[in-house]
This record gives sequence, C-alpha cells and structure tokens, in this order.
Amino acid sequence: MNAMNTSSIKNFFTQNAIYVVLVVLIIGIAVSDPSFLAVTTLRDILLQSSTRAIIALGAAFILITGGVDLSAGRVVGLTAVISASMLQLSEYPQRFFPNLPELPLIVPIALAILAGLIVGLINGVIVAKLSVPPFIATLGTMVIVYGVNSIYFDTEPNQSQPIGGLRKDFTELGSGYFGLDGKYSIPYIVVIAIAVAGLVWVIFNKTQLGKNMYAIGGNIQAAKVSGIRVGRNLIYIYSIAGALYGLAGVLEAARTGGATNNYGNMYELDAIAACVVGGVSTAGGIGTVPGVMAGVMIFGVINYGLTYIGVNPYWQLIIKGLIIVAAVAFDIRKYLAKK
Amino acid sequence: MKKFTAILLTGIMLTAVAAGCSSKDNGENTGGSDSDKPTIGVAIYKFDDTFMTGVRNAITDAASGKANVDIVDSQNSQPTQNDKVDLFINKKVNALAINAVDRTAAGVIIDKAKAADIPVVFLNREPLADDMNKWDKVYYVGAKAEESGTISGQLLVDHWNANKAMDKNGDGILQYVMLKGEPGHQDAELRTKFSIKAIEDAGIKVEKLAEDTAMWDRVKGQEKMAAFLASNGDKIEAVLANNDDMALGAVEALKSAGYFKDNKFMPVVGVDATAPALQALEEGTLLGTVLNDAKNQGKATLELANVLAKGETPTKDNTGYDIVDGKYVWIQYKKITKDNMSEAK
Repeated sequence: MNAMNTSSIKNFFTQNAIYVVLVVLIIGIAVSDPSFLAVTTLRDILLQSSTRAIIALGAAFILITGGVDLSAGRVVGLTAVISASMLQLSEYPQRFFPNLPELPLIVPIALAILAGLIVGLINGVIVAKLSVPPFIATLGTMVIVYGVNSIYFDTEPNQSQPIGGLRKDFTELGSGYFGLDGKYSIPYIVVIAIAVAGLVWVIFNKTQLGKNMYAIGGNIQAAKVSGIRVGRNLIYIYSIAGALYGLAGVLEAARTGGATNNYGNMYELDAIAACVVGGVSTAGGIGTVPGVMAGVMIFGVINYGLTYIGVNPYWQLIIKGLIIVAAVAFDIRKYLAKK
Repeated sequence: MKKFTAILLTGIMLTAVAAGCSSKDNGENTGGSDSDKPTIGVAIYKFDDTFMTGVRNAITDAASGKANVDIVDSQNSQPTQNDKVDLFINKKVNALAINAVDRTAAGVIIDKAKAADIPVVFLNREPLADDMNKWDKVYYVGAKAEESGTISGQLLVDHWNANKAMDKNGDGILQYVMLKGEPGHQDAELRTKFSIKAIEDAGIKVEKLAEDTAMWDRVKGQEKMAAFLASNGDKIEAVLANNDDMALGAVEALKSAGYFKDNKFMPVVGVDATAPALQALEEGTLLGTVLNDAKNQGKATLELANVLAKGETPTKDNTGYDIVDGKYVWIQYKKITKDNMSEAK
C-alpha cells in the first residue's frame, strides 16, 4: 500500500513535471515578494508571452516533423521592419518611403506575413527537395534573411536608422485592449495569440496535414511507405511556420512602436527552449499545443518573476539554463518509463 | 528512478531558494526593501557595454541612502525593454530611468509612463523632440556628441598657446592631419567638424595636410599615419583622431618615424579616454583625450529621477544640474591630459 502511494506520487511528478516546475517557481517568487500575486502581473506575463507563443507554435511545427528552424528570429526581424517601414505617420520627418500614401492597415501586415511565409516556403523547398538537413538549411536562410533585411533597412533615405513614428492604428494593435480599464482587460495581442493557438490546435489534431506531420516526425520511412507525400507536406509545414513568425514580427513592431534589423535576434532559441520544456521532442513526432503554451508560460514567469524580485540578470541566465535541462530530463523519464 | 526524481526536485527547490536569496544579497537591486525611500526603475540598453556599465555603477553609488534603484538589463532588444517597463509600472515604481535601445521607440514608453503617471528620465540615447514634448514629466540626461570634437580641438589650442615651438615652420598656421572614424558615422562627422571649428574659433588658422578614414581601428590608424608621414614628413604639426584607438595607431607610426625621443614631439589627440590611451598619456606620447563623463551622467539621472519620484519639479537647486529648456541636462565631456588623468580612471 505504502509502496503504491510513493509510486503514484512519483508517477504524478514525472507526468506533470513542467507544471510542477511552474508552481514551484510561482511559489518561490511569491514568497520572496507577495505583491507578485496580482491580476496586473498575470496580464503582463500573458502580454509578454503572446508573441513568443506565436513563434514557439511555429517552431513546434518544425520540431514535430523532426526538424529545427533557426531562421525564426531573423524572420521576425524582417517582418517587423517590412511592416514598420510601410506604416509610418505621414507627417513623420524621417519616413522610410517619403511619398507612400496611407495604406489600409491590413496591406502592410499581409505583405509582412507573406514575406515570412515565403522564407518558410524556401526553407521547406531546401529541406524537402534538396534534402539539406533542416539545421543547415535554416542556418543558411537565417543568415540570408538577416542580410536581405539589413540591405532593405539600409536603403536611402533610411540608411539603417531605427524606424519610428508608427501610425496610431498600428501601435494600438500592440498596446490596445478589450475591457474597461487597464487592470481587468485583455490586450488585443493576447487575444491574437489565443486565436493562433486555437487554429494551430485544429491543424495539429483535426486535419490530415497534422496527422501527416506527426507521422513524418515519428518515422519518415513509414510515412513514405504509407503513401504520405512527405516533401509536399514539409513545404506546407515550413510555410505555415514562416507565416507565424511573420505575424509575430508584425506584432513586435506594433508593440514597441518601432523596428530595427536587429529585432528578433535569437528568438528561435527561446522558442525551441519553450517547446522542449513544454514536452515537444527534438527527435520528432511528439508535441502538443497546451504543452508548448505551458513551456512559453514557464519562461514568461521566469523572465518576469525573477526580474520582479530583483534577481541579478546574470543569475537569471543560469536559472533559465538549469530549468531547460531539468525540465527536459524530467520529461524524458515519461517516455523511458513507458518503454 | 526515485533517487533521480528526488535529486531533480531538490535541484529545482534550491534554484528557487537561490533566486530568492540572491535578490536580497544583491546590492544594486534593493527594490521594495526600504519602503520610506522612493523606488526608481532603471532599464539599461545592455549590461555588457563598457560605458553604460560606468553609468550604471554611478547610478547605484548616487542612490545609496536616497532611493531604492532596481536596475534591469534590456539585452539590446527593444521588445525586452518594453517588457521591463511594463514590469516597473506593475511594481508601481515612483520614477523610471530609461536608456533606450532604439531612440525612436521612446514614444511608446512615454505613452505607457504617462498613462500610469510615472515620470521618466531618458539617458544617453536622446528621444526625438516630438516624443520629448508629449508630456511634461519627461527628461533627458546626456552629452552632446559635437562637444567631444570641440574639446579635442581645444586640447590642441591649449598646447599651441603654451608652446610656440609647435608651429614648426613659424608661419602662424597649424598644419594638421585628421584620422576619421567610419565615414557617415555621426560621431565621426561631428568630431571631425567641431574639432577644427574649435581651433578656428580660438583664432588659429589651420591647414589640412591630409584626412582619411581609419575606421576607428588602431592598425589602420598606424598605416594611414605612416602614409601621411611619407607624403608630408616634418610639415605635420598636429594629429587629430576621432578616437583613441586610431590616435594610438598614429603614435606607433610616429614612434617608428623617430618621434617621442631626442626632443622630437608630435601632439596627438584622441577621444574616449580608454585605458591604453591613459597609459599613453602617462608615457607622454599622447597629448590628450576626451572623456564621456559616465559618473555625472549616472549621478544626474539618479538626482532627476529621485526628485521626480518625490513629486517635485527638478531645478538646479534640488538636483545640482542645470536644466535646459525645462527637460534637458547636458553633461559636459571632460578634457583629459596627463595632469588630470586620475579623473578618467
């Protein structure tokens, strides 16, 4: 009886490792500074996790197919710059396109997301048709995208100046909210992230593409033998991921009211870390939307909470690294136990 | 298996405890510990920048006994900085001090601060004038880039006035060569222009023998200077460089050409007051350099933020600094020579 109890406790911890880490973190932070437990804190963490969640969901697509996408961060930078360059106030003195008329909000946003999708498409073609390993393919596009973005950013008359003076309707997208006042309200950006998560959940669980994605990641040979058109599916998946990074880049520009070619630098690593902490297997075939969201939230709590209680930023890096390793080591137990 | 789980759990608990403790051990992050003193949220553009580290330390020093400062790293990312600002607002700090990552992004930060009625002091990276005018509780502490040029010119003026021998050919005109930083770089253009302007403003006629870019680089500074010496030889009466690295490169070239011994001297001036430059001042090879005053930038930021946090309006009396146009504090660059080099250490 006693043995069974300890075994079921152990089982509970291995099955829910990431949630245990999350709860321990929150308790630790709250003990250190009780004012941390507030509605506004939750709102801030959700707000800050929103763009990261969208990028992590994109990265999850690729990881589940057994690949990895290093271009995510630079695509965020590219689409932040593209959208910002076309959404400046007409009276702003240093316009990227001095004579551009005021476009409907949706046009630059759609163009930026399309740019992200095209990079994803290229990634997919390189991986699927040229058989380049995803790590190398996306390493290449990561560097290329940064180069392209820097050339665009450096064109006359902008010449590598930060793009500022963004239109109110655009920045409102990043800082506005539903609700009466600042406290009990939901920022637009959080609603967008939740909508994207819902959409991705549907793709993962209710579509043929989702089933194919898990099959390819689980065993690519078996997937081929069972008649799945692996190449075509990979191209679709990389394109969707690219479009998600594109959306995230647009939201980053809207949220900060500006953009430079350095936006999004290293975001891909945060996204991959959030995915693996959330139970996505880097070997492919395994991963869920709620898991990814939990992974993103863990990093949201770490980033926000540790700064909140005033932990030295260098210590924060060490703690983050330890949590990545510990959470995955825990998570692996789950599958080892099954085997 | 059980042991493994126990070890991992213990590790995580310890980490959480370490997090809690380090917040108390850490001197510069004393937010919330003294409730009678105002709390100031400071966001630095990145922690591993040498100059801003000097400013950061000066802020911490100036705050002791006056205010609690909570200093965070924006990791050279504007979105990260915006996150930190949201956090400070949630923590209800009494004032913000922001070293913006992108100066154009200040507008959004000002909107956030205004909505929460928390005064903001920007430092070192100047927001656009339009953004500064959005709200009356927005201030800026920084230095004027052109002044670093002016002061390097003045170093030569001082030397000229004190040593008539500097005018080697006795024609009353200062023949100089200029080592420029990266072309188009704002600091390079301003330093070049204003250093010469300062010399002319002092009533000294100048003649440019040569000017070329050495890309802020010591090795290139040496190569260009060697070329200048080859073509102009002893006609050169002074060397101006946009930064210390290039000035030190020029010094090396001059050494190989027989300068700095047997009473053969060449006045060389740089900008930045780096450690190797101070060493060269000590040796007497570099005439002077210009210091961007991190100590006063940090102190002025803290004084302003502290006064604003108490709900008062900053003035010369309560901050110790002149407030220009109601919202700007300009910190002067400092002239550094062998005589006052201890100020730059």
